[in-house]
Amino acid sequence: MTKVSIRFYIAVFFGRFAQCVLRLIGKSAGGTWPGEIALFICPDFISRLKRESFRLVFVAGTNGKTTTGKMIQTILSAHSFSVRVNESGANLVNGLVSVLLSHPFVSKKPIVYVLEVDEASLPHALSAIAPDVLVLLNLFRDQLDRYGEIRAVVALWKKSIEALFPKTTIVANADDPSVAYVSSLHTGKVQYFGLEDPLLFQNKKEHATDSLYCPKCFRRLTYQGIYYSHLGIWTCGNCGNTHPDVALNAKNVTPPLKGTYNIYNTLAAVLASKVFGISAEDASRVLATFSPAFGRMESIAYKGRDIILLLSKNPTGFNQSLHLVLENKTSSILFVLNDRIPDGTDVSWIYDIELEELEHHKNLKCLVSGDRVYDMALRLQYAGVPTNYMFPYESPRDAIDNFITDSKEDEKLWVLATYSAMLDVRKILTGKKI
Amino acid sequence: MKKLSLSLTIGWLYPELMSTYGDRGNIFVLKQRVLRRGFGAEVIEIDHSTTGKELSRIDMVIGGGSQDREQEIVISDLLKKKDAIKALFDSGTPGLFVCGSPQLLGHSYMTGDGTKLSGLGLFDMETIHPGAGKPRCIGNLVAEICDDMRYARGGMRKTIVGFENHGGRTILGRGVKPFAHVLVGNGNNGNDKTEGALCNNFIATYSHGPFLPKNPHIADYLISHALYKKYKKNIALKALDDSLAWNAHEAVLRKCGIVI
Repeated sequence: MTKVSIRFYIAVFFGRFAQCVLRLIGKSAGGTWPGEIALFICPDFISRLKRESFRLVFVAGTNGKTTTGKMIQTILSAHSFSVRVNESGANLVNGLVSVLLSHPFVSKKPIVYVLEVDEASLPHALSAIAPDVLVLLNLFRDQLDRYGEIRAVVALWKKSIEALFPKTTIVANADDPSVAYVSSLHTGKVQYFGLEDPLLFQNKKEHATDSLYCPKCFRRLTYQGIYYSHLGIWTCGNCGNTHPDVALNAKNVTPPLKGTYNIYNTLAAVLASKVFGISAEDASRVLATFSPAFGRMESIAYKGRDIILLLSKNPTGFNQSLHLVLENKTSSILFVLNDRIPDGTDVSWIYDIELEELEHHKNLKCLVSGDRVYDMALRLQYAGVPTNYMFPYESPRDAIDNFITDSKEDEKLWVLATYSAMLDVRKILTGKKI
Repeated sequence: MKKLSLSLTIGWLYPELMSTYGDRGNIFVLKQRVLRRGFGAEVIEIDHSTTGKELSRIDMVIGGGSQDREQEIVISDLLKKKDAIKALFDSGTPGLFVCGSPQLLGHSYMTGDGTKLSGLGLFDMETIHPGAGKPRCIGNLVAEICDDMRYARGGMRKTIVGFENHGGRTILGRGVKPFAHVLVGNGNNGNDKTEGALCNNFIATYSHGPFLPKNPHIADYLISHALYKKYKKNIALKALDDSLAWNAHEAVLRKCGIVI
């Protein structure tokens, strides 16, 4: 089915031209402008593509999109696919078109686009183009100012999955009740992954937990155990909705990164690669050399110190990061909280984080910075961090300088930062953007 | 000096159903500010199993925000406890209701899909959600607290800062006063510059989630009224180091272009 028109080529020309200009003036080519321009010229740009000339993977969910996408890219690239991904931050439809534009449409190897799609854009993206594989990771509380209530997002996902192209394979997290439920409505193939390891159950329920209610009948779910947030082995005593059987579990993979959340990311990536005919063993072997995406447990050497960046943009992600940092018996943490559009303009969520955990780590030095430095410092104060262990700095550079002067060679600093804050810190450490 | 054995009981309304976005921050603040003054503090979680007798022990009542479905569950249970809540309200027990919880206090709340939920009718006000087509009121909220409240206990800071995110629009009746006057943001309805409501010692505000951390003056207002109501005398509150709180408060004022 070829519907290529003059309009389409004009759109490609101007989109690519914009990309060259952006590159020349030193802006990242992954921005959304080229896509924006192409869509302006040819609004049905996507449906005019030769769909059979490439394969498409969407990775959607609140947390883990970038890491999972990069894992899939790593696995497929090692198995003679030409893989193209969207740059972080650009995960809307115009971002998608920008990625398509930034590479030639033909290649000797089979082309696969791996695109991360944020939870609110998923319905729009799915109505624009049907992916071959749709990876659904999780749904957590995130940026209510932008995405609205979790339940509204679930309702939108449900609608678009009911209408989904039957040939799309869904790879879904069975441990997340909402994700598993909406996936079960797909008329095509669904493959589930889950941890299936009671040793990983946590003892205490976290506060920022949304989906303890059945996504189908809204009654309370029964959990055999919870891994974190609302992820676990669940069942509904009322309507019979229950945790589906999984095709891949924690014992089948060796995650290259620490943290329970990275077991999920690995499972999702390995299961998605299976759709391309790659076995779990082969995929795991490739992942052994996986290096994290920027800001996702990325370690940067700076003035003889080891600075580790952990993007922490919502309560669940933050809790997981904090857990990991505290497990590593660190002596210094830097919290950087911004309230710009990509971070969410509302910082209320910091009261949903389990910062009270810090009570058990009395000698931990807490550096604080970002646009909302005092909000974060105040939160830490109410979490019981003593004044003499708290160092608020309006500028992240000052905070990092303080750490450098106050620490020894090889000492580690863990940085928990929101999206734009992480980019700011990274720029200070590496001297360049992204 | 004789050791004080004063203590306060904080009633937290339906924590599981009314905690949309960091609402528990208000509880942390109240509890710690009571403890730091050397008083005892106990938090009671109010839910469907809470009895009228337990409610009568409460010295302060705190409500957070909820999604529409949760709000329905809450109001149907709360109507069964109406007498006990009204007794608290009439006796001058202080309360703080943030985000969507003020809707419970009014006569009624019309949800986005046109369902009319009855409220407790304690506040002379009504809320209507104009439907999904109308934009929500989202953003930083800065307002000046009403004079009645400001001078009730010898004067306090004029501004309050918060973040609002609501679909419902509230219109106040004659029987209730606004809590504050909007400087930046929407407040009750985006038109008449009123923000929240104040009646007896119940405070309603459209600021959502953790309202008290950046507004320690309001936290202390609630605490002093709770002590006064319980012990029938004015008990001075020891000043605390609130420099971080005021820094955070002033950062929002600056962000919103308010000159301090």
